[in-house]
Amino acid sequence: MNAPAPDLIDLELTVNGTARQVRAEARTSLCDLLRDALHLTGTHAGCEHGVCGACTVLLDGQPVRACITLAAACEGRAVTTVEGLSGPLVDRLRAAFHAEHALQCGYCTPGMLVSAVDLLERKPEAGEDEIRRDMSGNLCRCTGYVGIVRAIRSCTRG
Amino acid sequence: MDTADAADRAGAGPGESATHAESGAYASVGHPVPRSEDERHLHGAGRFVADIAWPGALHLAFVRSTVAHGVLRSVRAPALEAGESFWTAADLQDIAHPIVAKLNRPGFQSAPYPCLATDRVRFAGQTIAAVVASSRARAEDLAEMVEVDIDPLPPIASARAAFEPGAPLMHEGWTGNHFMKFTRTFGDFDAAVARAEVHLTRRYRMERLAPSPLETRGCLSVFDRAQGRLLFHTCCQRPHIQRDFLAEQLIGIDQHRIQVLVPDVGGAFGVKTNLYPEELAVAAISIRLGTAVRWIEDRMEHLLSACHARENDESVTIHANRDGEILALEAEYLVDGGAYSMLPSTSAVEANMSANVMPGPYRIRNYRATAMSACTNKAPTGPYRGVGRPAACFAMERTLDELAHVLDMEPHELRRRNLIAADAFPYTSATGLVYDTGNYPPMMDTAVRALGHGEVRAAQQAMAPDARERIGIGYAWYVEQTAHTAKEFFARGSVVLYGFESARIRMDIAGSLTIETSVCSHGQGHATTLAQIASEVTSIPMERIGVRAGDTDVVPYGNGTFASRSVVLAGGAVHQACGRLVERLRAIAANLMQVAPDGLSIGAQAVHGPAGTDPIPFARLAQVALQYVHELPAGIEPGLEFLASYRPPVETGAFSAGVHAAKVAVDIETGAVRLLDYLVVEDCGQTINPMIVDGQVYGGVAQGIGQALLEELRYDAQGQPGTVTLADYLLPGFGEVPEVRIEHQHTLSPFTAYGMKGTGEGGCIGGPAAIGNAVTDALRGLGVSVTRAPVTARDVWTALQAARARDAAGGASEVGAEPAHTWMPSR
Repeated sequence: MNAPAPDLIDLELTVNGTARQVRAEARTSLCDLLRDALHLTGTHAGCEHGVCGACTVLLDGQPVRACITLAAACEGRAVTTVEGLSGPLVDRLRAAFHAEHALQCGYCTPGMLVSAVDLLERKPEAGEDEIRRDMSGNLCRCTGYVGIVRAIRSCTRG
Repeated sequence: MDTADAADRAGAGPGESATHAESGAYASVGHPVPRSEDERHLHGAGRFVADIAWPGALHLAFVRSTVAHGVLRSVRAPALEAGESFWTAADLQDIAHPIVAKLNRPGFQSAPYPCLATDRVRFAGQTIAAVVASSRARAEDLAEMVEVDIDPLPPIASARAAFEPGAPLMHEGWTGNHFMKFTRTFGDFDAAVARAEVHLTRRYRMERLAPSPLETRGCLSVFDRAQGRLLFHTCCQRPHIQRDFLAEQLIGIDQHRIQVLVPDVGGAFGVKTNLYPEELAVAAISIRLGTAVRWIEDRMEHLLSACHARENDESVTIHANRDGEILALEAEYLVDGGAYSMLPSTSAVEANMSANVMPGPYRIRNYRATAMSACTNKAPTGPYRGVGRPAACFAMERTLDELAHVLDMEPHELRRRNLIAADAFPYTSATGLVYDTGNYPPMMDTAVRALGHGEVRAAQQAMAPDARERIGIGYAWYVEQTAHTAKEFFARGSVVLYGFESARIRMDIAGSLTIETSVCSHGQGHATTLAQIASEVTSIPMERIGVRAGDTDVVPYGNGTFASRSVVLAGGAVHQACGRLVERLRAIAANLMQVAPDGLSIGAQAVHGPAGTDPIPFARLAQVALQYVHELPAGIEPGLEFLASYRPPVETGAFSAGVHAAKVAVDIETGAVRLLDYLVVEDCGQTINPMIVDGQVYGGVAQGIGQALLEELRYDAQGQPGTVTLADYLLPGFGEVPEVRIEHQHTLSPFTAYGMKGTGEGGCIGGPAAIGNAVTDALRGLGVSVTRAPVTARDVWTALQAARARDAAGGASEVGAEPAHTWMPSR
């Protein structure tokens, strides 16, 4: 039996502010596209079925799971990965993660940062319960979440 | 006395006082220094094994068994294109030996675990064939097109079924379906039982778990033709041990031609201590192809075939007096070990460890343990954070609460009556473990006070009889054996012994320092902690100290990171090596100053002489040692590299201890358990970095809570796994783990530098027991008690319904209970 030849597509999208043109198999996930074609390995694949949140990126400013987002669906859109996060809020968040020991192995950290940036932009005054609820799409196996919650709280206008 | 020792004594060193402030005594040790590891991860610049770019690397995918047990009749290759390849067992037989894990225990049985199945498959998920292609997607496509013919055999889907009369033998030549079984008796057991006034037996089950680091397994194996060497990049916990194993398993490649490289590791928790058939197959195939081959496991593969853990059925009998004094303890452990033994820890590791540590912090001199590990048609089991101790703690601590109930005592009072007294250390346990130091009774007091025990009891009294939500509290004690070494592993029957850790330190001509360590972090922050110790000894600031690990060509031989050993053993090695460096620097300075070295002191990166003389900066001394050797007297060796291999003076380890206390609310209409408070009182001696210690506790507790309330790998009667995604196998999230509170006590070890003890595993040990006790406490009046971890809402609800149905007859009901049985619960 022969494997069918995969369909190739040409994509144009903006990644971390830069216009990119990429040829990829139509079935390629955004996560694989970022990692394999664009060498942005900060986006981590943890489960590859949309549960753990390690691969979370911003798509037109909205958090999505890159592992279950087809790259083809990102034509003409803007993707921000952990490598492209910037600005005063992100600087504060990174410093807070460092100060509060919000990471151990670092594997979930890129997805945590992306989700946390989105949360803080939407809800700059979020309390602990709200933080825990809105961050619940990201799993961490190392920290017990204590440091992550503290870090995000320290960046709220509470 | 070397300088490092002098530094200890100057700071009220080990053994001199029971406790001292975390940061008061030292300049660097004991301070919550933020980690040097964080920066790269916060920018997405960490480098994990899947991230390593390697031009031309091929990708490998495995074909796995879809049935639990069967005879492998044939495997047919798919149509391949140029550059693609297909591999079965026959292709690897002359390059890789099957894995055989051994244990020196009477009656232990081993069996070969082949890279790719030969004539039989023994669990759903076992590797049968491999395909190699230019991309992971293409390799996975090809794997799906491989045709496999298996004649199914009846599976053995539980430990109990493995021992039923007529059960087919799992491996050729075995005398029964057990990896290991033994009964050991300590003390004057029978006489103590005869003396006891109360005999209480309870049975428990701790379900099968998946350690589940967020980074799955994976490796990139490069056969470098230019050097004729194998460069094996992998995410593992023990680079040198992995290299030893690869050299032993691979045919025709001597060890010096193998380099193991470990980049950032995305969590491990024990699952990455093993050498897996997958890793061996990838190495063998890359050698055969003479190229680079990468395998990155997906989550389904991980849940199918990376080592599982626990699945421990336990029966406990406490023989006690009416005043609560425990006279004897009897425990039986029946572990479902899965189909094969992992190298090197074997499928006996859970039962073996449970039996070894069961008496815990209690003064129990008479003990009988039966440990049995069954071979079944499930994935192999192996070490996961805590190994055997969560199950031992669950059984022991749950039964203590049952005994307290029977004797009408407060659970904490019963525990106090049996805790080892502070003046009894060093204490040799019934099973021969030497507890170096401890001070347990005040920890019980702290837990009772900090949890608000009295307030909870008052609230329970005040609760309406028909209240829907019931609150309860529970405690769980454990001792955590850490940093144990060769003799202890030998006593357990290990074939591989882990006797020491090493550090090489190098001072360069600028006076900055590089540490090369044999331990291998997977999130523990060694680069920070080890640098703190070096900074303490040398006065060199943290930012001038670099730490390298995870490269067998660079770092000195050692055993890696597991069993809560890194800070004590690798930290001990750094401490020793830095002491030698300081000694050399002082000798050089003494010569330049023309004074005796004894009176010279170290501080601010300089050696300080008698009053009135100028201190000599380290950079100047390094210049003399490394370049201006003509200024060096003949008696002082040039160079500033020091290797220390640290073997601790006591080989049964340094014993940390903890008590966990949980407060829960149980909704008796839904069975849902809500954690209201979770407190850890822990003692790991002198902490090097209290922030990192807290992080270990928080993370461990989260895993303990997962085990207590959520996590459970399920198999059906056909041995088919039912939990193959993270939507089925539930890891605790932001909503399930509360803000854990930690209270510290610091009882120093007399045997280690600064009096430190390890602390990697304690956090995960107490959860199932503390929460199980709290749920039982909440439901006391309703005749329901917890016998299974996890405690799911469905279990609680079902038990409550059963209790209500039997209420008129005065029956009791157990959460997760099983029908009456003679040996162990079945499922």
